[in-house]
Amino acid sequence: MHRRGREAIVAVDSLTGRPGRTDATRRRLLGSFVGAYVASLVPFAIAQPADDDSAAFSALSGILVGRSSLDTALGKRLRDALAADDPGFAKSTHDLLALIEQRRLDPLTLQSVLDGEKSPLATLPGRIVTAWYMGIVGDPEHARCLAFETALCNVVVADILEPPTYCHGAYASWTRKPT
Amino acid sequence: MAEPSSADFVVIGSGIIGALTARKLVLAGASVLILEAGPRVTRGELTARFRNSPRRGDWMSPYPPVPWAPHPIYLPKDNGYLVQAGPYPYAAEYIRQVGGTTWHWAAHAWRNVPNDFRIKTLYGVGVDWPIDYDDLEPWYQEAEEIMGVSGAPDTGSPRKKPFPMEPVAEPYAMRRIRERCASAYPVVTNTTARNSRTYDGRPACCGNNSCQPICPIDAQYHGGVAIASAEKAGAKLLTNANVYKLEHDAQGRITAAQYYDSDKRSHRVTGKTFIVAANGIESPRLLLLSASDKYPRGLANSSDMVGRNLMDHPSTSLTFDADEDMWLGRGPQSPSSINTLRDGAFRSEHAPYRLDFTNISRVNGAITALIAGGVYGPEIEKRLRYACARELNVKNVLEVLPDPEHRITLADEKDAMGIPKPQAHYAIDDYTRKGAERSKEDFRRIASLLGGTNLRFSKEGDYANNQHICGTLSFGSDPHKFVCDPWGRTHDHENLFCVGTGVLPTCGTCNSTENGLAIALRTASHILDQAGTRPAGTPAPSPGAGK
Amino acid sequence: MTRPHRRPAIAAIVVLAASCATAQTTTSAPGTETIKRGEYLAVAGDCVACHTLPGGRPYAGGLVVPTPMGDIVATNITPSKTAGIGNYTEQQFSDAVRKGVAADGGHLYPAMPYTSYAKITDDDIAALYAYFMHGVDSVDVRTTPAHLAFPFNMRWLMAIWNVMFLDTHPFQPVAGQSAEWNRGAYLTEALEHCSVCHSPRNLLFAESTSKRLAGGKVGPWDAPNITSDPNSGIGGWTNAELVAYLKHGDAHGKAQAAGSMAEAIDYSLRHLTDADLRAIVTYVKTVPAVHDAADTRPRFDWGGPSNELAAIRAVAWPANQAQLTGPQLYDAWCATCHQDNAQGSFDREMPPLYHNTALGNPESNNLVLVMLDGIHRRGDTVLPMPGFAQDMTDHQLATLGAWLVVRYGNPAAKVTDAQITNLRQGGSPSHLVPVVQVAIGVGAVIAVAIIALLLRRRMH
Repeated sequence: MHRRGREAIVAVDSLTGRPGRTDATRRRLLGSFVGAYVASLVPFAIAQPADDDSAAFSALSGILVGRSSLDTALGKRLRDALAADDPGFAKSTHDLLALIEQRRLDPLTLQSVLDGEKSPLATLPGRIVTAWYMGIVGDPEHARCLAFETALCNVVVADILEPPTYCHGAYASWTRKPT
Repeated sequence: MAEPSSADFVVIGSGIIGALTARKLVLAGASVLILEAGPRVTRGELTARFRNSPRRGDWMSPYPPVPWAPHPIYLPKDNGYLVQAGPYPYAAEYIRQVGGTTWHWAAHAWRNVPNDFRIKTLYGVGVDWPIDYDDLEPWYQEAEEIMGVSGAPDTGSPRKKPFPMEPVAEPYAMRRIRERCASAYPVVTNTTARNSRTYDGRPACCGNNSCQPICPIDAQYHGGVAIASAEKAGAKLLTNANVYKLEHDAQGRITAAQYYDSDKRSHRVTGKTFIVAANGIESPRLLLLSASDKYPRGLANSSDMVGRNLMDHPSTSLTFDADEDMWLGRGPQSPSSINTLRDGAFRSEHAPYRLDFTNISRVNGAITALIAGGVYGPEIEKRLRYACARELNVKNVLEVLPDPEHRITLADEKDAMGIPKPQAHYAIDDYTRKGAERSKEDFRRIASLLGGTNLRFSKEGDYANNQHICGTLSFGSDPHKFVCDPWGRTHDHENLFCVGTGVLPTCGTCNSTENGLAIALRTASHILDQAGTRPAGTPAPSPGAGK
Repeated sequence: MTRPHRRPAIAAIVVLAASCATAQTTTSAPGTETIKRGEYLAVAGDCVACHTLPGGRPYAGGLVVPTPMGDIVATNITPSKTAGIGNYTEQQFSDAVRKGVAADGGHLYPAMPYTSYAKITDDDIAALYAYFMHGVDSVDVRTTPAHLAFPFNMRWLMAIWNVMFLDTHPFQPVAGQSAEWNRGAYLTEALEHCSVCHSPRNLLFAESTSKRLAGGKVGPWDAPNITSDPNSGIGGWTNAELVAYLKHGDAHGKAQAAGSMAEAIDYSLRHLTDADLRAIVTYVKTVPAVHDAADTRPRFDWGGPSNELAAIRAVAWPANQAQLTGPQLYDAWCATCHQDNAQGSFDREMPPLYHNTALGNPESNNLVLVMLDGIHRRGDTVLPMPGFAQDMTDHQLATLGAWLVVRYGNPAAKVTDAQITNLRQGGSPSHLVPVVQVAIGVGAVIAVAIIALLLRRRMH
């Protein structure tokens, strides 16, 4: 039985374009701070970004997380928390976008490239993906959970699974084959 | 408000076993005072803590210790409370708060199989229990009726009366595992203290899949329910009362318990009979801390066995991807297992084991692994869904033999209250290692029956701790070899009893709570019998084999 | 039966003689079909709900029925000759059920809903009588009689009340309406006596005739407007939803019965045939609409899925738990079943809280009572809800309730600390007894003063 998914509220328009296809509209909307390659990777348009930092975070998040829509309210909370932990966060975000553009890096090989070069940006993608997918920001001793139900790891399986501590349904409802 | 300072029975520890022992005594008309080192906490708060946790795979994260009642914490870093003397760490997790450690258990409530009581006689390993299965049978039943236990019939532990309710409904994934393993292994519904219908005012399971660390609706029995029932029956509970010493008189009778409150003020409580129920590490620790001129090795320790024979059920496991969608995470966390390897002639050679199939959702583990593996972009969702749909895990639950060198002692270091910390000396011996090795054949076979790919064995030499703390207060007839007599009374002190899993002289292959609880209920029956009060409706305890 | 063992001995002999006479004139014992029909009618009339103690023997009485006049004890209506109605003739049975007059001449209070049962047809009374005499086990245990405070111990006052308010005409089918409608009207008005709870009452506690089924109170419970008004009543429900509600006490995604209504469903409505339930619904859907201007939308149309998770994630609980917010309390105690957006479980077995009539009701008692005590239906046929009276303080429950109605329900509903404290104890006792006593006292004083004035005038 299809259950109501736990989709994050769609806050930006999603485009139907496939990754890898340059789209003039997207590039225009993203503004001048990303190049054509990054624009092709970001799976959505960023309508009216609040500011360059916000747009950069959205673009980088979109690339790393690979989702066509991201909750802007949640994104702001995550970005604020990430920046609170790391004063250089905004700059690092811009730097990584530039790196991806310049070297045409693929999300799947990005981390090994950064690790191989001992890049100062090596921990950034993991931090951003952990924030969106797990709702967690911060190093182990200072970690906070800003999202659980709306963390993407629970959203992407919400048609079948509830997050732990949320009921599946009436007793024995779990005996049925999941559809 | 004057707090109670004296009672017929002083019970140290408010976990499931201490609470239900207290309850039985108070229902028979005695006055009972329970001293609990830690604070009260509600189920609702624990649920909220879990959801706010930045470490959801860490089942201790909803249970931070309070400074006046520290317990071991390993993440994000080891708080060093349980000192590890090695060679192998005994990284047990336990909870010092009202209700104790079963706030976060999977509610397994197996009985021993009959041969578990006699492995020395039958297989030449370990020790024999001072009682046998039939002696304990009525108290197994009593424990199961209190907790609301159900399970598959005929899993090796004979019953005189049925379970109080039907087995919990089998999740789809477990059914597929059962069907596909049927040619080689009977997969059965676990014997658990989890409701398949409304029972005792608590609802049936609704599949929260969070049994560990918290059942948000009390469909699962646990120490919080037990202590509430003890208080309702009339037991008095003092919280934030960290007992650090038991006093005795010149004749060796225990006279008082001294405890620190949260401001480290010392208080004293007197009683006629004292029952130590503070888990298999904290109970021996207390006895050792209570050393005096007369008892330089600690109380109840003329045998030098207090704290020794530390055991657990270590686990190794196999994770693999099945060839069909299973979707673990629907229903309770631990529904099914294979129980046919708990006994047999092989026990003279290697450890027996149960094989548990987990139903814990893969989401948290899988996303952690994907991020750690640098998987970004649209692949995350694809691979995450695949892992959640396909990934299965089977683990063993291995027996460990009693070895006096494996023990709990007092460390030189002191905790925040100035009390010497507990220290664990432990190792995994060959008997258990060989069992683990043997179980790998079962793991492979099971994976093959399920079309398994991407086989990932747990790291060689790594044995997960299951928090089944046994052996440290072993009961037996010989006062030179055992801390307690077959009734749970310490050999050395007439009015000092031990209840808890520490009393078990061997650990068998099943989670220890049901065993420990049955023995405790039997101990309470004996205490009442001796006092001339048998609680209504319970049978007279049988004398036991008196070995 | 009001005071069975206080009947004067003469009256008892007269009754005995009368019943013997009746017995002698009875030509044959009633057939099993009549008895079975009587049994069905007794279920439809829900006699068992008052006349049986929980877990007690059926119809043996003893249940204390709290009324504004004081506590009334429902009597033993088994055919016991020493403790029940075993000596009643059919006429006496009919008079008790349809006129509120017991065999000894004493009057019953309309806690016994004779004002509704007055409409039962002669044929059905006969069947009911047959059932109670021959289909119910005799229980020879007497009930203790009620002791009501002055002036309500003067039962003869009810004779005056009946003259004013009792319509003694049995039900007449309405021409031009379908058989199903007439059947539904009969079940609703005569047997199920819905108006006893669901109609407002005047100062003398008679049901309003102009605002039939426009809402009433049952102790602390609100029995809502069930007229056909689409906003104030049930006009916006489909027939299927109403039938589901009456049959199960659960219209998925809309409403769940609790308290007295759940009882009525468990003991009576769910045992009716589907055809009878459809008939009731057909009729109730035509009851003249009574509209309250304050109702801007139906009770089931408030709220929607939403959450305040951003306010509680990565936020520690306050040290003083009296300061926990609504969202925090919801997270701790409710979200597990009702889910993070209050959408309920996928199978709707755990209901959503928005579009839910309990939260859409401007009267919040029903919501509060369910929060306190949960919902426990007989036989576990509907998923039980636990109560949270022991888990939260009055203030926490009030905080949570107040937040729930604003976020998911009708914000006009109020939930207060005092209300929780009150409802924990089962609600306020009625003030009717002291009010009436005072009124009579005042009235007596006024009467004496007037007489004195008149006398003085005469004397001058």
